[in-house]
Amino acid sequence: MASLDANNTASNLFSIGAERLALLGKHHKLLMQGYIDGFIDENAFTDVALKKLIASRILWRPDEQQPLALRPLVSELIASMVADENRRQINADVAEKLEQIRNRVQAYRDAQYKGDFSVAELQLQRLTEHVHDLSGQFEEAIDSLWHRLNSDFGFVSSLDDKIRENERAQKQLRRLLDGLDLLDFNELIELSEGNNHLRKLLVSQLQSQLSSHHSSLLEVQKRLVELLARFRQQQSRAMLIANMAAFLRQHPKYRPADYPNRSDVPSLFNQAAAIQPQAAIALDKASERQVLAGLVRALPRHQAVVLTDTQSASFSSLLVDDEIAARQQALKTDVENFYLRVIDQGCSLSALDYLATQQLSWDSEIWLYQIIAEYQALPVDEKQMFAVVREETKASAFNELLLIRDINIGLQVA
Amino acid sequence: MLQHGPLLERLLAGDFICKITDEDAYRHLSQEQTQQDINHYLRPLNRRLVSNDDNSLYFLGYHELNKDAREHLSSQFALTVQSLLPLLEWLQLVQETLGRDSALTAGDTIKLQEFVLRTEDNQSLRQRLSQLAGDRFFNSQSEQVDSQVKQIFRRLKEHGYLLQPHVERQYYIVTGKIDYLIDVIRFIRDEEHLPVDDTPTQEAMF
Repeated sequence: MASLDANNTASNLFSIGAERLALLGKHHKLLMQGYIDGFIDENAFTDVALKKLIASRILWRPDEQQPLALRPLVSELIASMVADENRRQINADVAEKLEQIRNRVQAYRDAQYKGDFSVAELQLQRLTEHVHDLSGQFEEAIDSLWHRLNSDFGFVSSLDDKIRENERAQKQLRRLLDGLDLLDFNELIELSEGNNHLRKLLVSQLQSQLSSHHSSLLEVQKRLVELLARFRQQQSRAMLIANMAAFLRQHPKYRPADYPNRSDVPSLFNQAAAIQPQAAIALDKASERQVLAGLVRALPRHQAVVLTDTQSASFSSLLVDDEIAARQQALKTDVENFYLRVIDQGCSLSALDYLATQQLSWDSEIWLYQIIAEYQALPVDEKQMFAVVREETKASAFNELLLIRDINIGLQVA
Repeated sequence: MLQHGPLLERLLAGDFICKITDEDAYRHLSQEQTQQDINHYLRPLNRRLVSNDDNSLYFLGYHELNKDAREHLSSQFALTVQSLLPLLEWLQLVQETLGRDSALTAGDTIKLQEFVLRTEDNQSLRQRLSQLAGDRFFNSQSEQVDSQVKQIFRRLKEHGYLLQPHVERQYYIVTGKIDYLIDVIRFIRDEEHLPVDDTPTQEAMF
């Protein structure tokens, strides 16, 4: 009767479990989103689906006011599967497991004593599971610790967080080590006395597993301490940089003591001047002449650079422009014609009158200048032939500067 | 001694040797016998091997501090003091621009292009960059972010703080000389009892 019940329960258990696992698979995307967000978007599910998920103990409402969320065990399962170190839990509770192992051993022995071998078999099965659980619990914890170590606690961003995470990991590790200390192998040997199955399970298997866990934990601990020291060093370096920079900014005139002139110069500041080794060709080794000759031949030949004559710029060179020269010549010709007219007429002639009557286009001032210039250019004896009378006025009533208004030129009566 | 020829030449030229700049040479220099050999060799040149506190880098110092040596050390020291603030500000700027959670240390890689891009997008970083670039230690005359950054990195390379593994590729590795800078700051701070803290307070931690 009892075994029939057990069979019924087992098949019932199987169908419910399978159904609920399938439920996880059916809503995998939305549930995973819920894991990431921390709550479930209820609108994404149908009412029926929500009810099923709640009844299956996958979702729950922690509080009336709160949205639906994954049950902690489901979150934990996901965290462990994806090695999400932010959410992964470490179970360091060894005492409870030990208690269960003791009870199972007792139940197993009782069943054996009664001769109820199928129950004994079942108890041994459960006992094996507990032993594996215990070992697996350490394995999971160690895996999580290594994972965090190897990623340099990369799952948190700031250095302060890393230091805190490292310290948390070290506390977990101490709890795990304390848990290991609870395991007393003398007790386990006693428990398994006289039974090969138990001895194999509790002594040889568990002992070797736990001792390897123990050494792993010690290794992780060593590495965690090293990493923490490195974090602290980085932290102190960052602070030193920030604070020193702030100090120097606040005290721009600050100068440290004159270390280089102390009797005992700190080795940090003993930085010698550079020496650059130089070498030159030496002819004292006959054996190297060949090499030297080769070097000389390899020298690029000097080529004389022919400098072509180039016109050099000169400030004194006259600007020669054909058009200007032509006008200059025309002015000169007109002035010469004026002088010829004076000679022809034999009487005094006003320069400006001539300019007007001949309808010449020259500016009057330029005209007068050119007439004076032409007069000045004449040889002394010819100058005497002309009488030059300048018509002058004062620049103003108070200025004695005389301005030439016009020039009258006539033949000098000899 | 013959095998250390190139190393001696680098040391004499004033290079700092660390794990990043020359790993083989650094390994040799970490051996006591090599140190003795080199010191013996350098004795007539009035030079000796000097290392920082944690032996992470080596350079040459004077064996005997005569007048010339002291004059050189004085001017060297003045330059070092002058470069402190610009270098510290550069360290802070890099840390903030690249969003790093810790200060630069030897062996870190900086991609110049990434630095330029992130600076260009941010007005306040640009301003700080151009102020820093104009400091006489970096001495950039440019208004362009790109050439300011290039000038800064070039100067840091010249001074041995950065290593450019490939001339045509714009990424740089921080050398051990940055540790030297930190040592210098720490030394001055300790020696002069400057109010410059480097241990985080409990509040900052929790």
